[in-house]
Amino acid sequence: MSLAYLKAAVADGDTETLVRYVRLHVGDGDESSGRREIDKAWVQALLPLLDVPEVDREFVLDTLKTKDRATLAHLFFSLHFHLVRESGDWIHDGDL
Amino acid sequence: MATSSDGQLRPGLWDTVNERYPGSMISKEDLVPLASLGRPLSEARLAFVSTAGVQPKGTLPFDVVHPVGDYSFRRVPSDSDPADLEIHQLKYPTDGAHRDLNVIFPIERLRELRDEGVIGGLTDNFFSFIGYNMDPGLLERTLAEGIAEAVCAEQAEVALLSPA
Repeated sequence: MSLAYLKAAVADGDTETLVRYVRLHVGDGDESSGRREIDKAWVQALLPLLDVPEVDREFVLDTLKTKDRATLAHLFFSLHFHLVRESGDWIHDGDL
Repeated sequence: MATSSDGQLRPGLWDTVNERYPGSMISKEDLVPLASLGRPLSEARLAFVSTAGVQPKGTLPFDVVHPVGDYSFRRVPSDSDPADLEIHQLKYPTDGAHRDLNVIFPIERLRELRDEGVIGGLTDNFFSFIGYNMDPGLLERTLAEGIAEAVCAEQAEVALLSPA
C-alpha cells in the first residue's frame, strides 16, 4: 500500500487497512506471517521479564519523556524486529 | 520462465505486488525516452545504481524497519574492497551475496570489464539504496532526483540500474 492509501485509510478511520499494512510489513508481504511475527515479538518481550529482573526504568522513562512521537514509534518497530531477530526464529530473507 | 504476450517476465508479478502493496508502484503517463549513448561503451564512464542495500561498513545502516521506507542513498566507492561493504536489506535473500557480494553488487566484475576495456571507465562512486519505499512520490522527488544529480555530478555517461 502506498502512503496515499494509508492516509486515505486514516481519514476514513479504516483501522483494519492500517493493521493489515503493518502485518504485511513485518510479515514480508504475507499477512498471516505478519500476525505470527507480531505475536512472536510480544512473547519475546514478555520472556525476559518473567523473573522480574532489574530494568533501567530511568532510561525508559527518560526516553518516553524526551523523545518525539515519531522517534518512539520508530523505536517500537525497531524493538519488534530486534526482539524477533534475537529469538533466532527469523523469517526474513535479508537482515537488519 | 514464463513470459506474457508483451514479453514481461513473471507475468502476474505486478498483480501480486499491487494486491499486497496497492498504489506502491510508480506509474508514468508520459513516455520518458531512454537517453542514447553518445559514444561507444568502451569509451564511456559508467555509474552503477543498485537497490541492494549495499553500503560501506561504518555508515548509518539503511532503515529497514521503517514501515514507509528509507529515502536515502549511500555512495559506494567503486574501488571498494567487498570486505569493506555490508548489506542492510530485509526483502531479498542475502546468503549468496554474503558469500560473494558480486552476485548482487558486481563491483569487482565491473572493474574487470573496465580493465579489459569493455567499459571506458567507472565513476568514483556507485550508488545504493533499498527498494522498500511505499511513497512513490517521495521516492521520485528525493531519492531518484538525488541519485540522478549525484550520477550527473560524477560525469557518468552510462548508468547501469539494477534492482535487487
